Order: sequence, then C-alpha cells, then structure tokens
Amino acid sequence: MGDYPDPDEEYELMYSDELELLRDMDGNTESNPIRKKLQTAKRSLDFSSPVAKKIVSNERRNSNTASNNSTDGSFSLTPSLQHLDDILPSSNGPNKRTVEDLFGDINDIDFDNIQLPSKKQKTEEECDMELIDKIIEGRRQRQLLTEPSARGIVNTGPNYVVKENLTTSVPKWPFIPLKNSNGDRIYVRLVCEDLWEDSLDKVTNQLSLQTTYASVWEEARKIIEAKKQETESTELSHETGIKDNVVDELWVEKYRPKSYVDLLSEEPVNRALLHWLHLWDKVVFKKDVKTKEPHQRIAFSKRTGQFQMSNNWKGKKENEPELDEDGRPHHKVALLCGPPGVGKTTLAHLLARLAGYRPVEINASDERSTEAFQTALQSATLMQSVLDAERRPNCLILDEIDGAPIQTVELLVKWCTASAKKEEGKKKNKTQPLKRPVIAICNDLYATSLRPLRLVSLIVSVGSTSAARLAARLTRVSRAEHVRVTARALGALAARARGDVRTALHLLAFLKARDRETINVEDVENAAIGTKDSTTSMMQALQAIFTINDSEPTSILKTIQAAGEYDRIVEGIFENYLTARVDSRLLIACETTTWLRLYDIVSSWTQRTQNYSLYSLLPLCIARCHSLLASRQQLKVKFPMQAQEMSRRRAELESAVAAVRAARVDVSRRALRLDLLPLLPYVLSPTLRSANIQLCSETERKSLRACAGAMCDFGLQYSQQRTPEGLYAFLLEPDVYKVAFFGSEERLRPPPAVRQAIAREQQLEIIRRNENMMNRMCSKNSSSEAKQKTDKQTITKDVKTELPNHLQRLQPKVIEKPTRVSVSFIYTN
Amino acid sequence: MSLWVDKHRPRDLMKLDYHKDQAIRLKSLVQQSDFPHLLVYGPSGAGKKTRIMCLLRELYGSGAERLRQETMHFTTPSNKKIEIMTVSSNYHIEVNPTDVGIHDRVVIMDLVKNVAQTHQIDSSGQREFKVVILNEVDDLTKDAQHALRRTMEKYVATCRLILIANSISRVIPAIRSRCLTIRVPAPTESEIANVLHIVCKKEGLSLPTELAMRIAKSSDRNLRRALLMCEASKVQQYPFTADQKVPEPDWQIFIKDTARMALSEQSPKKLGEVRQKLYELIIHGIPPDIIFAGLLKELVRNCDMSMKCQIASHAAQFEHRMRLGNKPIFHLEAFVAKFMAIYKKFMEDSLGDVF
Repeated sequence: MGDYPDPDEEYELMYSDELELLRDMDGNTESNPIRKKLQTAKRSLDFSSPVAKKIVSNERRNSNTASNNSTDGSFSLTPSLQHLDDILPSSNGPNKRTVEDLFGDINDIDFDNIQLPSKKQKTEEECDMELIDKIIEGRRQRQLLTEPSARGIVNTGPNYVVKENLTTSVPKWPFIPLKNSNGDRIYVRLVCEDLWEDSLDKVTNQLSLQTTYASVWEEARKIIEAKKQETESTELSHETGIKDNVVDELWVEKYRPKSYVDLLSEEPVNRALLHWLHLWDKVVFKKDVKTKEPHQRIAFSKRTGQFQMSNNWKGKKENEPELDEDGRPHHKVALLCGPPGVGKTTLAHLLARLAGYRPVEINASDERSTEAFQTALQSATLMQSVLDAERRPNCLILDEIDGAPIQTVELLVKWCTASAKKEEGKKKNKTQPLKRPVIAICNDLYATSLRPLRLVSLIVSVGSTSAARLAARLTRVSRAEHVRVTARALGALAARARGDVRTALHLLAFLKARDRETINVEDVENAAIGTKDSTTSMMQALQAIFTINDSEPTSILKTIQAAGEYDRIVEGIFENYLTARVDSRLLIACETTTWLRLYDIVSSWTQRTQNYSLYSLLPLCIARCHSLLASRQQLKVKFPMQAQEMSRRRAELESAVAAVRAARVDVSRRALRLDLLPLLPYVLSPTLRSANIQLCSETERKSLRACAGAMCDFGLQYSQQRTPEGLYAFLLEPDVYKVAFFGSEERLRPPPAVRQAIAREQQLEIIRRNENMMNRMCSKNSSSEAKQKTDKQTITKDVKTELPNHLQRLQPKVIEKPTRVSVSFIYTN
Repeated sequence: MSLWVDKHRPRDLMKLDYHKDQAIRLKSLVQQSDFPHLLVYGPSGAGKKTRIMCLLRELYGSGAERLRQETMHFTTPSNKKIEIMTVSSNYHIEVNPTDVGIHDRVVIMDLVKNVAQTHQIDSSGQREFKVVILNEVDDLTKDAQHALRRTMEKYVATCRLILIANSISRVIPAIRSRCLTIRVPAPTESEIANVLHIVCKKEGLSLPTELAMRIAKSSDRNLRRALLMCEASKVQQYPFTADQKVPEPDWQIFIKDTARMALSEQSPKKLGEVRQKLYELIIHGIPPDIIFAGLLKELVRNCDMSMKCQIASHAAQFEHRMRLGNKPIFHLEAFVAKFMAIYKKFMEDSLGDVF
C-alpha cells in the first residue's frame, strides 16, 4: 500500500497542474479587493443583523425593568460608550487607533453609497475626520434601513435626549430637583402629561415584538406572493410568446459552460486539448511572462511527459516528441471535430481563455478567400491586442473550417508547416513561423478540403455527450429555471437529442413554454419538434440494409432517407448483393437487380426531366432491396469503389479515343471504336526481318510505309520517353493498343527496334506529305496563272509574290525540286 | 490516306461496287436542279458516307473533296463554352453534334443558322445552296431533333441537310417526313468478298477466295471492318493462305468469352466475375447495346430452343429499359443474372427428369 499513493492523492498528483490553474482562475475572478470586502460585509450583515437586533431588544427590556421608563434609550447608549472608552486606551495607543477600533465592524456600511473623499486635496487629519463623519453617518443610515423599528426613537428623540432631560445645573425648562446617591443635585425635566402619554404609546407600538414579527411575516408573504405571480406571468408570457422571452437570454447562452468543470465533453478530450495548448507555452509566454510562470510551465510539460508513461490516456503518442526544435508542439493545429451541438466552439473558447489566451474567432460568416484569410491569420498570429487589458496573446479559432475553400486550407497548412529555420520566402516578409496556437473546428473531419490539414494537425474528436451526462445537466438547468420535469422525461429528452446539448436545451425551453405543470415522458415523446434530423453516413445505411434489425424493423426507410446519397447506396448494394445471401438459383439476384434497374430508370428520368415527383420512390427501391438482402449474419460491407474506378479508367481511354478523333473527324465515334481502333494495331505492327531499313525487302518497306501513313492519318506518334527503369522507350501516343485490346495488348506491340524504324519512317512520311501539299498548291497557282510560261519561272515568280519577306529564304529549297512536282502531281490524281 | 479503307474508297457514284441501282437514282436526283433534305440510314459499314461524298462530288465537282478541319465555338444559354470539330469544304460542312452531348441543340441551332444565312460566295458554282451533313442523328436528344425540324423548313432555300443515322427508329417522325429517306443496306457477304478482291487487285495482291469469304463472314457484313481485317491479315502474314488466322476486333472475342463464362457456371460468384468483364467492356467504350447483342447472340447459340425465345424477349426488354436509365451495368448484369436463373432452372428440370 505504501508504494502506491491512494486514489485521492494520485488524482491530486495527476491533475495538480490543472487544479493549480483552477485555483489561479478563482483568484483572478475575485481579484478586486474592494469587491471581496464588500462581499464579506454583505454576508456578515445578513447573518448578524437579527442577532444584533435581539441583543438590542434584550438590553432594552433589562433597562426597562431596572430603571424607570423615561430613560430607557439613554441608559442603553451611555454604558456602551463608556465601555468603549474604557477599552480603547488599554489596548491601543490613542494615536494608532484605526477606523475599525473606533467604530467596530464597519463592514455593515455600504461604501458604494458613500462617496469616499478624494485624498489628494485634503490633509490627512481632515481626511480622517471626514472619514469618521462619513462612517458615523453611514452607520446611522444603515440603522435606519435595517432597523425600521428604531426609527421611531430617533425621530422622536429630541424629547429624550439625555443631556436635555437631566442636568446638574439649573435648567431653563420646568424641572424637579433630585439628589443622587453621591449627594449631587440633579435636575429632571418636567413634561406635559399628554405629550408623554403620546410618545409612550408610539414607542410601545413600535417596540412591541409581536407587531414587528407580524409585519415581517406580512412582508414575507407579500414577497412570496409577488414571486409566485411573477413566475406565473412569465409562464403566461412564454405561452403567448410575449417579448419577455427575448429579453431573457437563450438558455443555450445562459448555461454555456463558464469554467473547466462545467464542460460537458469527455474529460480525456478536454485534457488532450488543454495539454496541447500548454505545449505552446514555451513559445508564447517565454517573453511575456518573466516571473516563475514560464519556468513552471516548461517543467509542467516535462512532467506530463512522465505522467504519460504511467497513465495511458494518450496511448500511442508516448514515443512521439511533443515539441519540435523550435519549442513548438509537433502538431501546429488542433482540429476539433464532432457532430454539431456537442460544444466544440465552447470548448475551444473556454480552454483558450483558461490557458491564458485571447480567443480570436474566424468563422463561416467572415470572408474566407485566401487574401482575407491571410490578413486575418497574420493579424491574429503576429500581432497582439492593444485593447485587451491583460495583454494576453491571441489564440486563433477557425470555426466551421470544413466549409472553407480548399485554397484557404492549403494556405493555413503552408503557414503552419513553415518552420523557423527554413526561410522559404513569402516575397516581402520572411515567413515567420507560426507562434500562436490555432484551433480549427469542423463537423466533417473527412471533408475533401480538409485533407491537407488532417495530416499536420492534432485531431481531437469530440464525441457526442452521453445521455446520462446530458440528463444531469438538464436537471440542473431545469432546477435553475423552475421547470418541473420528471427525471424520466429528462432522460428521454437527452436520448432524443442524441448528444446534442443545444437541441436538448431548445427542446426543454420549448416544453417549458407549454402551460402544463410538469413535463412528463409523454410530452417529450409526443413533441413533434426537436427530432434531430440525424445524419447517418452512407456506410452506416449500407450496413443497415444488409442486416436484419429486429428491434425496429421499420426504421430502414428512415435510415436510408437520413443517409441521403441514394446513388452511392445503390452502388454499394450493387457491389455487395452477390455475397449477401446464399442464392444458388440466383432468384434473389434477379429480384434485386429488378429493383436496382427500376431505381436507375426512375432516377435518370428525374434527372432528365427535372421532375421530382417520383423522387420519393428511390428510397423505397432501396428499402425493397433491404427486404430481399438483409440477413442476420454480419456482412462485411465493402465500400463502393468499382463505379468510380470504372469511370476513371473509362475517361482515360476516352481521352485516347478523343485524341485520335481530333485527327479524323469524318469518322463517326462508333465506327472508330468498334471497327477502326480495334483493327488498327494489327496494321501498325508490320513484321520486319531486321530493324535496318536498308536491308529490308521491297514489300517490307512498303508495309512500313503503309504503317507510317496510317499513323499520320490518325494522328499517332511514337515518342521517346524515359521509363521508370531509366531506359528510353518509344511509346505510342495516344495509346490505341490499350483501347483496342482487353489485356493482351503487350503481345502485339512491335518490338522496340521496329518501333524506332516506324518512328523514323513516320517523320519521313510527314515531310513527304508536306512537300506534296506545297507542290500541289504551287502547281495549281502556276496552271491558273499562265500556261505558256515554264514551270520553273512561274514557281519562282509565285514564291516571290506569295511569300512574305521573312519567309523568303525558303525560296531555294522550293526551287530545288522542280522534278518532283510533276511526279507527285500525277501520283495524287 | 494510306489505309485501304480510305485509299480505295470510290469517289464517283458510278464507280460504286454495289447498290448500283441506287447510285443511278441518286445521280439522276442530283442532276435535277433541286433535291430535298436527305436522311441516309443503314447499318454501320454499309457505305452511307461514301455515297454522300460521291453525291457531293456530283453536285459541286472535286472542290467538295478539298476538306479542312475547323473547330467551332458555341456558347450555351447557361454560358458554358463548348467547342466542336467540323469538316468542311467550300460547299458543305459536316458535323457530329453528339460530340457535345446534351448541348447538341445549341450546335444545331447556331450552326445551321450560320451556314444557311450566308449565301454561296461563288455564284458561278452550280448550286445555290450549301449542304450540312449531320452525323449520328439517331443519337441526338429530343430537344435537338425538335430544334432541327423548324430550321429545316425555314432555311430550305439556302441549305440542304443530309442526315446520317444507323436506324430511323429514334428519329422523330416530324424529321422523317421532312426528308427523303434513303436506306443503304449492308452489303451481302458475296459483295464484300467481291470488294475485297477488287481492292487486293489494286494493291497487287492475290487473295484466295476462301479467305475472302471467311473475312466477309466474320466481318458481320460491315465493309469497313472487312477491309480492315483484310489489311490486318495481310500485315500479319502475306502470301495469303486460305486457312490463315483472320484478326478480329478484340472486343468481339471478349464478349464471346463473357458469354461463355455465363454458360459455364451459374452462381453468384460467377456473376461477380462476369460483372468485372462487363465493366471492362464498358470501360473500353463498347456501346452497351452492342454488348447486349453480342451476349445474346453467343448465349442463344448454346441454348435449348424453348429457352431461346424467352431469353431473346428478356434481352429486348432489358435493353429497352437500359436506354431509359443511366447505368448500363445494372441492366447488363440483370440480364446475365436472369439468363443464369433461367438456364439453371432448365438444367435442373431436365436433370430431374433424367433421374
């Protein structure tokens, strides 16, 4: 036992940093000393005043019995003053009397109402005097407020002021001379009997305990009544939808967690994010916090490293270094993901504030083009708020990042991954490494735009809140809001919200607005609203289709509709239905395909005509497949890939066909695919005995030429390319072999030597064709212009007139081959 | 033009090798000053295009053969830019509107208007009208066909349309009634063999008659395919022998393999394998109706008579449904599954009788 700390201690040890932090936070919130005093003052007032009252009344009773009635107020006052005078000199020096010594507990005086003197203008003495005056005044006022029964005495006081009723000298008013025990003569005032009676009545009335008690009761009852009415009226106003509700805060805002312990998300999640935030401390607070704090925090991160060895709440990350060489965390961005309403934004804000940052939020409502985003990033991460009193560093929170354009996310990733060492320049300013934590929040972790971000970020997935926790929170809220709800109803509510705190609170508020006394389970279940439009993923729906659901046989249609992507689901069914059930006679397959075909027809009709009247049929087709295919054994459903793969490969081959077609537009696509391309490769692979053209026979050369001609006709070309093995190879472009054959194309490709020969021949063929074209043009011009002139002359003349200046050096080349003109001309005709 | 198919294409109506009556009629049609819109239809490789080019040459002389390729640009109402390749001469323009998919309506409207609104520049030319050739009219969307029908009448003074289709069953009746329909039937096997002989003679080769017949038979009465096969077999092996291997398009072999697979075993597992093959065919751009036809042909060959009718009717039905839908693979697989089910039931029944 001795070796292991007991659970409590261990907890303390583990969470000591957080606890410390929490204590810090508490200290901060109550940091204002004046407020603190005031708070305690109020408290003391509340509790002590009835006791004080009692003492006073006791004293009065005593004095009443001891001496005569007339002097009861004065006697109670004088002894206490004397008492005070006795004590003071013995305890403190007269010079050092503090305010408290003088006046006892001054906490009962509301300093807010009393204007404290401005100390600059007055001397200390004056100040003290003034303070004393104020305190006396304040206390008097206090007494007036708290003890209304005493008011009478004070008001009617003048008659009973001790000094004026008893004197040792001869007064001016009517009196009776008396002698006290010492033999001194004193004079007692005589008062008119009526007046006396009057005043006595008043005093007794006010002093009578019963009446005060009764009045207090009365008052209390009134207050209770008023409160009741108030609640009733608010209930009424809820019902009729009066604006009162608007003035109130929404419950979601009102009960938003305000401290770490309030968070509803799972503890490991909170801790993971907080831990990550603390990893930034080295970079962020190194300069700003000069005192022990940074040191402490570095120690902290080291220590947690040790803790991780013993506690495996973080599992795999043990080996990974958490800080990179710049002292920044390994992951520069934390990516919070989870369904809506579980408190991701709240969590991010709260923890950022808790770790000493000022949260700066950018969400979908802000502009998120790359430029705007860059400015926002820069201003948030490089600058510091001037307005913020405590000069806290910023923590950037990117809410709803899954809706951001992909360029923006890429920019963020680039920004984050830029390290301090590498100065890969961003034009003007050298890229500063990211020095502030960035928290990104998304619903859909696998959104395509987030793909680059996923790789570099710490992914913290916030699961949906468990129903029990949610129910507990709802209980607290309903208690605070005076809503009477049965525990079961709350449980049902929590279950219905499926972990969405926001929805649960809204629903609770809605139910409260009804005029029922108590909210029952039935109310929750019958409420038509608040059913969350739950999104099941495509794969979940697919799994549901292939399994029999005994508990809720009818729920399949809902599941399908919730998943939405019917096309993908149908593809999934198509790819999995053959393995779903034993079906040796293929009857199930026939039936299933019938429904799939119907689906196809309906959906394409819908698309074609943009008429959605039959759209609701689609999930029914799928549900029908479920009834055919569902089985009790768990089927391993494959993700539908074939259709996508098919379209990808098809597009690949299609592009080859399109390239050929660009050269031969006059052939219809169908003919090209079915007749020309499948047979063309045979023509393109002539059999040559040797690669050297010079050694070939005439027929071989002919076939080679035919091949080259065909390649020219169809825009094909052998291009030399480097293969991955480092060799150069002649590859056909576009690759008609691939289009023509189903896997056996390699057999038919000509050997490399032949390819080279073909390529060379094709070059020659192209030159030959161009020449032909040129000659035909020239000869035509000559024939049309003048037939008497010789060919030579006309051609030279033509070239001179036709060609622009910069092309004139081509002249001799054309002239050199006049003999070929006639030959090719005849050949083509 | 070095492929035999292109090199030895007849250029004159009078030099055509078959359907000579039709050629004479066409010639007389052209020699009259005016002629209506034409709708030329017939199976692939029957010689539709050849006849039309001959017709153009007859109309405008050899100038119609000087072709150039151009890319034309159009903007759809939804502001999408589309481009389409055209082949044109001074006298005609040829376009394949289905190249742009569902936007073919825009092409037809703009292109026909463009051409029709400009008169023939060369007034010395014989004709006052230009010709627009539209390929694959049966694959046009209904919208495009409807757009066509009014433009045909409106611009009849300045342009003539020649529509080419494989079958007129998918051409709307309104267009059919506005055109003179000319059917170009596929050549018979002997006609094909004859053409092969002529071409080989021109090339200076000697072709054994048996080989010519074999090629003609396996060409599916498609002259283009026959010529290509002939040339391919020449490249493979020249002095021809009567029993040499004639290369066939690989997809035909592949479809036959697929059908054989379906016949060999009827089980969901086999169906999965067949599916892969069907996917492969679709990837290679073989039109699904061709796949249907090929499968049916091969499957029926090995069936009992009582099943043949049943399977054929199913195939027809499934093919029709496929044209309504978007995903041909569903329908193809459904057909194979259906065939397997029928075949298996038949086999079990007949085996049951034996025992």
